[in-house]
Amino acid sequence: MLDTSTARSVIDHAISLGADFAELFIERNQINNISTLSSEVQAVQSGIDFGIGVRVVYGTKVLYGYTNRTESDELCRIVTELSAKDLRDPETAVARFDFSAPNDIHHAEQTLTKGSEVESKVEYLLKADRVARAASNMISQTRGGCLQREQSVEIFTSEGLHASDIRNYIRASLSAIASNGAEQATGSFNDGGLIGWEIHEAIDAEKTGSEASRQALVNLSAKACPSGRMPVVIGPGFGGVIFHEACGHLLETTSVAKKASVFHDQLGQLIANPVVNAVDDGTMAKEWGSINIDDEGMPTQRTQLIKNGQLTSFLADRVGAQQTGYDRTGSGRRQSYKFAPASRMRNTFIEPGDAKLDDMITSIDRGIYASHMGGGSVQPGTGEFNFAVTEGYYVENGKVQYPVKAATLISTGPAVLKEISMVGNDFALACGMCGSVSGAVPTTVGQPSLKVDDILVGGNA
Amino acid sequence: MEAAERILQWITEAGATGDLMVAEGASLSLKARDGDLEEHKVSSSQVFGVRVIKDDKAGVAYSEASDNAALRLMVDQALINASYARRDVNEQVPDKAITLATDDSLLAPTDDVSVEEKIDTVLRLERELAARDKVKNVPYNGVSDVTAAQRIFSTAGLKATSRVRACFSQAAALVEDGDKNVMEGWGQGARRFDELDIDNIVETAHANCLALLHGEAVPTKHYDIIFDTQCQPTMFSTFSMMFSGKAAKDGINPMRDKVGEAIADARLNLFDSPLLDEGFGYALFDDEGSPTARTPLIANGNLATLIHNSATASHFGLQTTGNGARSPRSTLEVQLHQFEIGSGEAEDDAITSGEYLELTDLTGTHSGANPVAGDFSFGASGFLCRDGERIQPVRNITVAGNFYEMLNKIGLIGQTRYWDMNRHAFMPRIRFSDVAISG
Repeated sequence: MLDTSTARSVIDHAISLGADFAELFIERNQINNISTLSSEVQAVQSGIDFGIGVRVVYGTKVLYGYTNRTESDELCRIVTELSAKDLRDPETAVARFDFSAPNDIHHAEQTLTKGSEVESKVEYLLKADRVARAASNMISQTRGGCLQREQSVEIFTSEGLHASDIRNYIRASLSAIASNGAEQATGSFNDGGLIGWEIHEAIDAEKTGSEASRQALVNLSAKACPSGRMPVVIGPGFGGVIFHEACGHLLETTSVAKKASVFHDQLGQLIANPVVNAVDDGTMAKEWGSINIDDEGMPTQRTQLIKNGQLTSFLADRVGAQQTGYDRTGSGRRQSYKFAPASRMRNTFIEPGDAKLDDMITSIDRGIYASHMGGGSVQPGTGEFNFAVTEGYYVENGKVQYPVKAATLISTGPAVLKEISMVGNDFALACGMCGSVSGAVPTTVGQPSLKVDDILVGGNA
Repeated sequence: MEAAERILQWITEAGATGDLMVAEGASLSLKARDGDLEEHKVSSSQVFGVRVIKDDKAGVAYSEASDNAALRLMVDQALINASYARRDVNEQVPDKAITLATDDSLLAPTDDVSVEEKIDTVLRLERELAARDKVKNVPYNGVSDVTAAQRIFSTAGLKATSRVRACFSQAAALVEDGDKNVMEGWGQGARRFDELDIDNIVETAHANCLALLHGEAVPTKHYDIIFDTQCQPTMFSTFSMMFSGKAAKDGINPMRDKVGEAIADARLNLFDSPLLDEGFGYALFDDEGSPTARTPLIANGNLATLIHNSATASHFGLQTTGNGARSPRSTLEVQLHQFEIGSGEAEDDAITSGEYLELTDLTGTHSGANPVAGDFSFGASGFLCRDGERIQPVRNITVAGNFYEMLNKIGLIGQTRYWDMNRHAFMPRIRFSDVAISG
């Protein structure tokens, strides 16, 4: 996307100004988004993003700029402006570019620019819509969406790295509203991956529609949730968002280097119940959070974060590794050329155990079964987090009693990791978007069902 | 602008109408760490976005590349996209052959602050907060200076230009005392960089940390609640879909059929007030070139109107309220400019009499709210108060309820009105009764 001679001249210029490291990140991102509403196509949107991010590093100081233009003069002007306060004699040499093609472990067939047809996606979404509406005459509205994206990246660095990759993302979703005349409730289902539209052979329009309507109808019948501290069973799949937020973000060198993580000095220590094993893995074939190379050009890897409750690794990008001394983990990611890379999660999950969901429910006298979780957030410095329950049930005397609504779980990362007492055998993954200092990136969360012995449930009862 | 004329000509030649939006921006952002500059980021960007309407079907497309071939491809793609859309006779390019422009001296004023002085500012911000009592470090801090320009051209002859500048500074400190820790912060927005008050940000961020450091949960029960000047606008913004004419047209706004009905306490008067020029939501015209106005949303407790663009207004047989919103990447939507709540009658002493919780921080507002149903459950912190005095810092609690029901649980509305930190809302304090708190 950028000719090598231009890249060379810009990086030479940065190093001539005394920079320790210089990098160009070139991105072309093409998107197509189809939305349906009221059993019709509401809109089709498309577009092309193109730009170049320029990163210049002096020590651990990161200088970053970006532009939509490709001329050498404009890129050199940005370098000069960024380096104005740090000029010094050159202290390093520029290595010769050595191009390496990535090992493509996420090959896509029906990509946005080859073989993916709007008609087929529309058919999928309208079928899901019909299934949802057929479930009950209380389904009053549905909204569908199918976003396909083809992101091409090219990276040049002063260390001689020249890498490129093409990432094909797709995600389809349906949300449903159920209404009984007096009240309304919502339900939704989505799936996606680092794959082309051939994903429609694996994800089922019937399941998408029926799951969205089932959840909306369950929530329509839900009662106010009891409040207070109690045991909670968190369901598989997107329930893993709690580990992602409460622990994963605290293991990124973005927080660790600033000592803004409660875990920054606990490598090798027991930070979780010994039943907990956790991984961040970018290599899982065609998963939503996977990559071939990270946004710094390093091949991705599988990183064991917690083993038998013991903290075994942090997630480090280039600058984070430099700041902390820990090895890079192929975790340098960014939303687009508009962001400098930072250490970020990929597919992050708690590994399966051998407990059964029924046994977890049976062990509860008074508590909540949070079968589906929504989003949340965490404050890294203190580990305090909050998460919404999108489908939950009140449990009493070992039995599920009735659905509950408007519930939130709050605790701290260190506390909840030690309160996990049972890890199930029903492992599942789910896709989401993670927002942090380098923007919003696709990430997968996952876990089997877990029992947390004591957590604060915020309800309205 | 030559490219704009070319694009509009292509649209016309295709037998369509449409509009072009060109957004340009330039920004500087700086962060400090341990006494040195950690991040220095500069940018310049441009994006073109078209909306075409052909045979009563609308399609949009955008491009960050500005060469002739890329712009032509963008128009062709928008026409293809329109062919898949449902027919909607209500969405048309407004018949406005007018030229509009914002006032740079008001919305994008200049100052003489150099980049070096801005770097010194962020270094001072971090240094002075880090030097305060019990502060371990200042992991999140920064200053930014952003100028954004937007130009809209339509096949009907509209030429609308707007330019705004926004400078921000913020800092959050991690404070420790024994086994207790807390992270709190403060920030400020301004049109000019030299209006940023760094001393106040340091003072307020540190005071917020110390005030909450030894916070504990309060017993689970229902309390009277007063949200602070940040949290109260957050609550109204989280449920702002209740005023959306677009959501009503789409069948997802629960207030769709309640215009004219009582939905709130009769003392509540809520407006969309784009003409308050102290606010960052100030606007004389919307993204369709329609003039804006102070729009009553709730009048004496009754839902007065929903907000509309030209398409949603036409759908309901009404006039646009000047709330049309579009970016180069998006379809036509509606958007509030800035909230204003009318003054109430309660004096400060009355608002704060007896026991209540003052909530100063809400977490999970992006995930713990359901605007379709009105239900919410958020993490919260603040203070247990009695007769205006903070008697206990409170952390690790949740606040839950139904926002639409809360609008009828208003105890008192204050006389004095305050802008929020980001200057998007101008409201008096409201005391809500009987809200569920878990601790």
